[in-house]
Amino acid sequence: MSYKKLLKQYTPEELVESFVFPVKYTAKQQEQANKDLAAARKISQAKMTEDDILKARLYQLRFQLEDYLKKDYDPAMNFGHFLDRYLKVLNKRKKEFAAEIQIHETLLSHLISNRREPNDSVIIRLELHSNSIIPAIDWYKLAEKEKEHQIRTDGSLREKESPFVTHNLKLAV
Amino acid sequence: MNITEMSGQKAIPVIVQQVEPSDFKNITKKQFFFRWDQLKGLADLYKLTFEDSPGILGLMALVDVPAEYRIEIKLLTVSKENKGSGKQYGGIAGCLIAYAAREAMGKYEGLACVSLKPKTELRQHYINKYGMKPGGDQVYLDGHELQNLINIYKP
Repeated sequence: MSYKKLLKQYTPEELVESFVFPVKYTAKQQEQANKDLAAARKISQAKMTEDDILKARLYQLRFQLEDYLKKDYDPAMNFGHFLDRYLKVLNKRKKEFAAEIQIHETLLSHLISNRREPNDSVIIRLELHSNSIIPAIDWYKLAEKEKEHQIRTDGSLREKESPFVTHNLKLAV
Repeated sequence: MNITEMSGQKAIPVIVQQVEPSDFKNITKKQFFFRWDQLKGLADLYKLTFEDSPGILGLMALVDVPAEYRIEIKLLTVSKENKGSGKQYGGIAGCLIAYAAREAMGKYEGLACVSLKPKTELRQHYINKYGMKPGGDQVYLDGHELQNLINIYKP
């Protein structure tokens, strides 16, 4: 069905709730369109507040974290990595940030270096600190992804625990 | 991210993913108005589906313009049964546009921009419906308005 037919059959409000139609520009029109858009964006960029910029950076971190959660495990993309990036986005020193969420600076250092796992309180405090821009469930899933990999692949723990299983099921699997 | 079931006004969770080659057998012009296969290699194609079912409810073609920190929506449609006043589900186009906003924000943070070239008769309606701003003949989202759309649709 052509655009003109749709325009007769549906209201403009209904059409923008259903379509972005293809629109072709000539080279000259495209050049003018590029200039007009760039000029408009320059004005709106100048109106952006420090808060808008900070929020955009936090959203970027959140979306990159969420994209990683959908991908395969990568040891470099651990909880500590994203927590360190969170501090960098906020431009905060460890001591200052640890005080803001009321945890010991040493614990924060251990979380960033991935020597400690975060507990539920830390995860909730991170959500509250970001004013929910980065939800607790994202931090939780990030920590769980690490744990899941560890459980799946930890051969030495299996060896260590083996003597405690004195009887196992003799089933062919 | 949710769309709304129009009969019961119930929120239904949906996801947006890249179109797979195997999807094209279900993406017909009759169901989705355009020849989407012609955009293969020219744009990144995304589909909106229920979280737990593969049926496609909407499609979107995006072109990334890194030099301008901008993503352009080249084409978007809902499926045949989801347009107009008798639609089964509402909010499909909004969710797709918000997903484009999410992609732009993920790449370009504070400089992120989503734009589209509207048909003349629809220009003001994109502005009214999605908080877009006029940029010559085009309309666009950036800064506060981009974040607003993300907050509304939660992609």
